[in-house]
Amino acid sequence: MGGALRFAVVRLLQVIPVVMAIGALNFVLLNMAPGDVADVLAGQMGHATPELMAQLRREFGLDRPYYEQFAIYLGKLAVLDLGTSHLQQLPVIDLILDRLPATLILMVTAIGIAIVVGLLLGVAAARRQGGWLDGVISVVALIVYATPAFWLGLMLIVAFSIHLDLVPSGGMSRIGAGTAGFAYALEVAHHLILPAITLGLFYVAIYTRLMRASMLEIYRLEFITTARAKGLSEGRIAWTHAFRNALLPVVTLAGVQIGHILGGSILVETVFAWPGLGRLVFDALLQRDLNLLLGILFVSSAVVVLASLVVDLVYGLLDPRIVQK
Amino acid sequence: MDFRNAMLAAMAGAAMIAASAAGAQQPQTGGTLTYTFHPEPTALSTISTTAVPVAIISTKLYESLLEYEGAGMTPKPGLAESWSISPDNLVYTFKLRSGVKWHDGKPFTSDDVKFSVQEIALNYHSRGRTYFGAVDSIETPDATTVVFKLKQPVPFFLRAFQASETPMMPRHGFTEQDIAEKRVRQARIMQEPIGTGPFKMKEWRRGSHIILERNPDYWKPGKPYLDQVALRVLPDGVARALAVEKGEVDLAPQSALPPSEIQRLRTVPSLVVSDDGSEGLGPMMWLEVNLREKPLSDVRVRQAISMAIDRKRLVDVIWFGAGKPARGPVVSGNPAHFDASLPEFEYNPQRAQQLLDEAGYPRRQGGVRFRLTQNFLPYGEEWVRQGEYIRQELGRIGIQVETQSVDMAGWLRRIYTDWDYDFTSNFTHNYSDPTIGVQRAFISTSIQKGASFSNSMNYSNPRVDELFRRAAAIPDGPERKAIWNEVQQILRADLPVIFLIEIGFTHVWNRRVQGLIVNGISMYSNWDSVWLQR
Repeated sequence: MGGALRFAVVRLLQVIPVVMAIGALNFVLLNMAPGDVADVLAGQMGHATPELMAQLRREFGLDRPYYEQFAIYLGKLAVLDLGTSHLQQLPVIDLILDRLPATLILMVTAIGIAIVVGLLLGVAAARRQGGWLDGVISVVALIVYATPAFWLGLMLIVAFSIHLDLVPSGGMSRIGAGTAGFAYALEVAHHLILPAITLGLFYVAIYTRLMRASMLEIYRLEFITTARAKGLSEGRIAWTHAFRNALLPVVTLAGVQIGHILGGSILVETVFAWPGLGRLVFDALLQRDLNLLLGILFVSSAVVVLASLVVDLVYGLLDPRIVQK
Repeated sequence: MDFRNAMLAAMAGAAMIAASAAGAQQPQTGGTLTYTFHPEPTALSTISTTAVPVAIISTKLYESLLEYEGAGMTPKPGLAESWSISPDNLVYTFKLRSGVKWHDGKPFTSDDVKFSVQEIALNYHSRGRTYFGAVDSIETPDATTVVFKLKQPVPFFLRAFQASETPMMPRHGFTEQDIAEKRVRQARIMQEPIGTGPFKMKEWRRGSHIILERNPDYWKPGKPYLDQVALRVLPDGVARALAVEKGEVDLAPQSALPPSEIQRLRTVPSLVVSDDGSEGLGPMMWLEVNLREKPLSDVRVRQAISMAIDRKRLVDVIWFGAGKPARGPVVSGNPAHFDASLPEFEYNPQRAQQLLDEAGYPRRQGGVRFRLTQNFLPYGEEWVRQGEYIRQELGRIGIQVETQSVDMAGWLRRIYTDWDYDFTSNFTHNYSDPTIGVQRAFISTSIQKGASFSNSMNYSNPRVDELFRRAAAIPDGPERKAIWNEVQQILRADLPVIFLIEIGFTHVWNRRVQGLIVNGISMYSNWDSVWLQR
């Protein structure tokens, strides 16, 4: 694995300037919008004098010229200090670490559902190409793909939470129940069902379609014909010969979608009151909480870059030729 | 179901109703009241920001010297058990209740009162200067006596001691450094409150919930009735409505639900939908207009705009019936100051057209007289719909409106710092006295760049300035009432803004919640008498 390790280290070093550049770009872009956190606070109070506004800006360091703020920001970023949220008056890193687990649980579960279900459905559809099962899977996948996630989420709440009363409509745990340990994990899992399905379904549709197409492409290749000629069963051909080869495009897309799913989680977290990062970024954006916003963008860009690194490593496992090149 | 069973069911039903009626007289102790709001509070003190979510939760933790009763907000004893006012209305002496303890067990004293007003409210609360700007000195002759000496009479002085406006904060909750370096907003106590209120902090899971628990040492014997008050942060309006409908959440206060959902919930038998209990806030909505240039500087144009908008239809269609047409700058729910003789504004598009012709703005090619840009308050869907309705109505009388959409920070910058707009919807609070809530929008001294929710219109009328100045310094009575009547008549005629609607604050709660509406700021009251029927 020496090659793979060196590959990982080199990629990690390449990541650092990329992440720093993303941070700088975020700073410039976000400062171009009119209004700042002092404006937002004034709006919330319903009334503020120029003296109060000046006082707030002084407290927040917003009265300094942009280049000075930028230099301070970059200096702090270099030592991984994400600063203080002006609105919440707490360190940005604390706010993020507070929310990161919830988002990761949601993302990992949703991606897990999407990959497992998507791959199974894709393979099933490809094996019965043109049959009724293929038709049903393809149509359902198309409908799910075209349905907005927030609407799907609300409909799931109405059906499974309001009418059938099977699962809670929102939140991550019962409030004030005081459960701990395994009971708490079960409680979180129970609350996780609807949001993870909502977030995952869209990707289920994508993976299904992608896997189906990929499998059909592989089926046309000569080594499949050879396998058939050797008299292997169709199941064996599908799972040992075609599946692994058909997986590559899916892995590529999964890597890209980790960034995408962070965006998707904003809607899902909003509908299900899931206390994750997606909502934090949304609130920070609306409230011009620049430090917090920059911090979240920084952390999530790091997560995305790391995810793409993992994808590269998985490529290597699936097809060692890619890393050796 | 046969007849016998039906009779039995009916009798059981009657028994249950009787039982619940009997229970209604006798408050029950215990239980958790869950309410939902969005956005989540950013701090637990109105000193940090007076935003609605902060005011709702912090008033359960912190109290002030007085409490208030009824829609008219009659002062009654709170942390102060009695008070006296000198005949010249310049000296207010409060006698504090003894034996009151902070949540950390330390005693509450007159020194805390002086500190809370002088160091905290005056410097950090957004209305602190309005309430206490005329205070000459605060004396604390002993641990339970506080004497405020004023430079001039302040007619609303007894209204200043609401928990959301002047919360009593413990001096020992702040370090010397917090005060000296003006870092009060960053003080630890903003996240970890120490109050005297009926509830104290238990748990805050950001993005999910806040739980307050009963203060066992509360100074009112037997209170509070509830064991806990819990806030559930549900960011989606429809999800909030579903949670209330399902009974997962007991209360959605202060228009926490979208108007369309409230409309739907009116028919759910387990819920109460009410506009009562916000009279002391006096919500008021108008079109703010930039008077600096033609054509809006011409009062006939503003009259025409006013006449082109059907306020009744706005209330019914856009706001789903919550609210009523405004009749001037003071809300009608404030009987002490509202001029009841004011008629409703006229809806008359034909007359509006005539006025525009008279003002010298005939229809030109395409039927357009002139163009205006419209902003709207970025508070949600209804404000967009309202903007569309206004654009349509003004289009009919030949005013072509182009609507611009920006977020809150951008909106404030554009309206109050850059003054770069023609007209925009706006929403302010009257509060309990026109000097607090109305004056700032219309006196010429509040034409200041960067002052939010102030006189962005550039309205300047020496007579109005004079009337506001006089009303701020005389006690409530017939003379002050006459001043307010004149102010309302002048502003109605001048139309420095186009008065639209007194928007209702609608609260939705489960029938099992009792004792919620107690005064004109019921959601900012301490809820020590709220109880749950089980």
